[in-house]
Amino acid sequence: MISFIIRRLIAAVFLLIIVSMVVFAIFFILPRWGGQTTYGLATEYVGRNPTRSAVLQMIDQLGLNKPLYLQYWAYLKAIVVGGHYGTGTNSVYCPPPCFGYSFKNQQPVWPAMVSDIPVTLSLAIGAAILWLTAGIGIGVISALKRGSIFDRFSMTIALAGVSLPIFFTGLVALELFSYKWPIFPNVQFVPFTQNPALWARNLVLPWVTLAFLYAALYARLTRAGMLETMGEDYIRTARAKGLPERTVIFKHGLRAALTPILTIFGMDLGLLLGGALLTEYTFSLHGLGLFTIEAVQNQDFPEIMGVVMLASFFIVIANLVVDILYAVVDPRVRY
Amino acid sequence: MRRKTGMLAAAGVVITLTAAACSSGSSSSSGGNNTTTNAVAFNAGVTGTVNASTRKGGTITFDNSSAPDSTDAGNTYYAFNLNFTRLYATPLTTYKACTGACGDQVVPALATALGTATDNNKTWTYHIKSGVKFEDGSPVTSQDVKYAVERTFDRTVLPNGPSYFASLLAGNAATYPGPFKDRAKNVMALTAIDTPDPTTIVFHLKQPFASFNYVVAFPQTAPVPPDKDKGTNYQLHPQSTGPYMFQSYQLNKQYTLVPNPQWNPSWNPQVKQLPSKIVVNLNVNAPDIDNRLLAGDIQVDQAGSGVQSAARARILSSPNLKANADDPITGFMWFYYINTKVKPLDNIHCRMAIEYAANKTDLQTAYGGPIAGGDIASTAMPPTVRGYSKFDLYNALSKPGGDIAAAKQQLQQCGQPNGFNLNVAYRSDRPREVSSSQALQESLASAGIKVTLKGYTAANYYGNFAGVPNYVHSHNLGMAAGGWGPDWPDAYGWGWALFDGGSIVPAGNTNISELNDSAVNSLFTQLEAATTDSAQNSIAEQIDKKVMQDAAILPAVYSKALLYRPTDLTNVYVQTYYGMYDYATLGLKS
Repeated sequence: MISFIIRRLIAAVFLLIIVSMVVFAIFFILPRWGGQTTYGLATEYVGRNPTRSAVLQMIDQLGLNKPLYLQYWAYLKAIVVGGHYGTGTNSVYCPPPCFGYSFKNQQPVWPAMVSDIPVTLSLAIGAAILWLTAGIGIGVISALKRGSIFDRFSMTIALAGVSLPIFFTGLVALELFSYKWPIFPNVQFVPFTQNPALWARNLVLPWVTLAFLYAALYARLTRAGMLETMGEDYIRTARAKGLPERTVIFKHGLRAALTPILTIFGMDLGLLLGGALLTEYTFSLHGLGLFTIEAVQNQDFPEIMGVVMLASFFIVIANLVVDILYAVVDPRVRY
Repeated sequence: MRRKTGMLAAAGVVITLTAAACSSGSSSSSGGNNTTTNAVAFNAGVTGTVNASTRKGGTITFDNSSAPDSTDAGNTYYAFNLNFTRLYATPLTTYKACTGACGDQVVPALATALGTATDNNKTWTYHIKSGVKFEDGSPVTSQDVKYAVERTFDRTVLPNGPSYFASLLAGNAATYPGPFKDRAKNVMALTAIDTPDPTTIVFHLKQPFASFNYVVAFPQTAPVPPDKDKGTNYQLHPQSTGPYMFQSYQLNKQYTLVPNPQWNPSWNPQVKQLPSKIVVNLNVNAPDIDNRLLAGDIQVDQAGSGVQSAARARILSSPNLKANADDPITGFMWFYYINTKVKPLDNIHCRMAIEYAANKTDLQTAYGGPIAGGDIASTAMPPTVRGYSKFDLYNALSKPGGDIAAAKQQLQQCGQPNGFNLNVAYRSDRPREVSSSQALQESLASAGIKVTLKGYTAANYYGNFAGVPNYVHSHNLGMAAGGWGPDWPDAYGWGWALFDGGSIVPAGNTNISELNDSAVNSLFTQLEAATTDSAQNSIAEQIDKKVMQDAAILPAVYSKALLYRPTDLTNVYVQTYYGMYDYATLGLKS
């Protein structure tokens, strides 16, 4: 098991390096193919009315006049040992892990991202608990009561949940439960350490909105998986052995049906940890999603690169955890 | 360079309302310097102060769907932020805290009086008030003001503010690198500014400039102590000389201001210290801001550009909500440049045909209608600019649907009796401009002028296309959509970059009409040297009329915005120059 985990960790590191190369290429090579010049790229960072001398200084400060492989090496090196940006008295030190320096905000990228992680983490974990509980629960009941009113009703709601975009359900939820009936008024993020009750109250609407979409998806997946599993021969055998129905359903049926859901859950959670863009935007929660939107709007390449790397990291880690859990559930994958 | 579209600029109120605003009504000592206090009603904040009060305490929350370009007063250009920074930064001069034409007046703030001009408006001297302190208790000197100006010269560190000092000052201004690099050599090294004693500061200009009192009203003259300056990070905690100071700042998320204990109201009578805390939330979802505003969760939309369409419909359909709304002219103006060099528009009669034929009502509708879009414009200057005088050369007001008969007469004189082909540039990523250009296309067709629309992205509009005369000529762009707000409310601040021949440049050109009329150029030169208000106003009026006689611009609307004031806000009124509520005098009822 340990060698399996080590193998996967090494693979994860390589994967992240490849992601960093692709991201770097997208931001520094593709624009040049599209006709962007070094001078033009630096102009993006000097504000309005850029003078030639200011742009040239910025080229020097960003290191844009160096060969690309040196720029890439400097980027990787800074993540491990930190880096200096600019020269002379204008030099700024970016401590490790330095994911670049935002010349739009004049701040290192990493601390800005780190301060947003608790928001995204609170949102994603809370919503994940909700959607797993609701989605799997509804899926199992629907499968067991196939064709019943509950099944039809819940699957219709699930279809709506999958179809409706978050910026619609989120705004409706806000309109109804924050403004018309102010059960959850003035929704804004309050750190858990500052006031746990307010933290939870202000996140209920975002959790429910986000979970609504995923729960619908998971309910349909669970239902399909359960229907397939409950038709297997070994379930009939289990029943024939005289096992209680609860054991048949949960130990033999659900466990088998859960394995594909576990895989998808890893991907979904990893993606969400990289930023729940629509939910954060709708509820004005300053997590990694809103950070990404602002970075894109500002054309802040170092920030975009940083957040892409962080999102990739979360996806890789979430998949690693899922792979390990998968190995626990199904020992065949260890070999 | 003047503020362009997207940077809502100086603003104002219909002049006809001004006389009432400044001369009648009950007296009030609070809410700025307005002499009128108004009962709650639609547009009450345009003509006077609503809920005048001196009550202290409470927290005022501002939301912003974006973020300021910088909270450093020396590094900002957005109108809302020029308004807001006065809460913690005191420039040499500022705008008077009142509505109407009164609000366009520049008055002393940190300075004891407006500048004394000598040497034919080339030397300007200011004396700063004694006893003014930074929030840490250290005294403010003229050297702190000089340093504040010096630091704006380094565009790699502070790129966002206006660049008037670099272009106007004499001495080594053209080559001065700013104080951040080689500090030992460069701090206090700008030779165009003298500080003969701790309370006197003298600016030496390279040419006469009558509007300099407006230039020093930019918060770039708010003092900065050199030893506290951290370059770009100074914005995280600028040293306050205003009624509030920074308590905390999470970049791009939120900042909080609390009362500055050193503050003395005599330092700047145009601002107040009423709420006990001011919170600004940044990057908030725009439609949600309107909901929070109407629900009373927040008090002000910091951007000050008006509510979105959904909230607008709610406000206008509810008498209660409407009573708490104002619809001021913002000072911004939408129009179309008419190029004076592209054939056949080099013939003035062809340009006049366009002036007559355009359906102004359709243009108004396309820009958002009379409430959110604005009033139909008939002049080259908006009513908020000093010296504005209403006139209607091309029947924009008397025949807003277009005067096709007059247009056809002009086409005859132009030698194009059957009309002509015309290319019109517009910004394809601005829905209102797309609609207005389509409306223009339709109305000009009635006179036989066949318009082909040419869409460009806003980001490159001035830099690569409509603002590049060579491109305009090679692609026969006869007209181009535009929008403008003045950096200060006189004809120079409004129109030099739009209409003076000297402002035509190879790229980033804002005189897209390429108007180079010696009479207009001469009037701008006279304006630079004019010393009295009456002389300046007279010249402004002449410039406006001459530009319209040249038919170099097709005015569309004087922009308006629907603002909402929650009922718990006190001292609410629209400050003319900023075109939004005065953020420096607000208080709370409870």
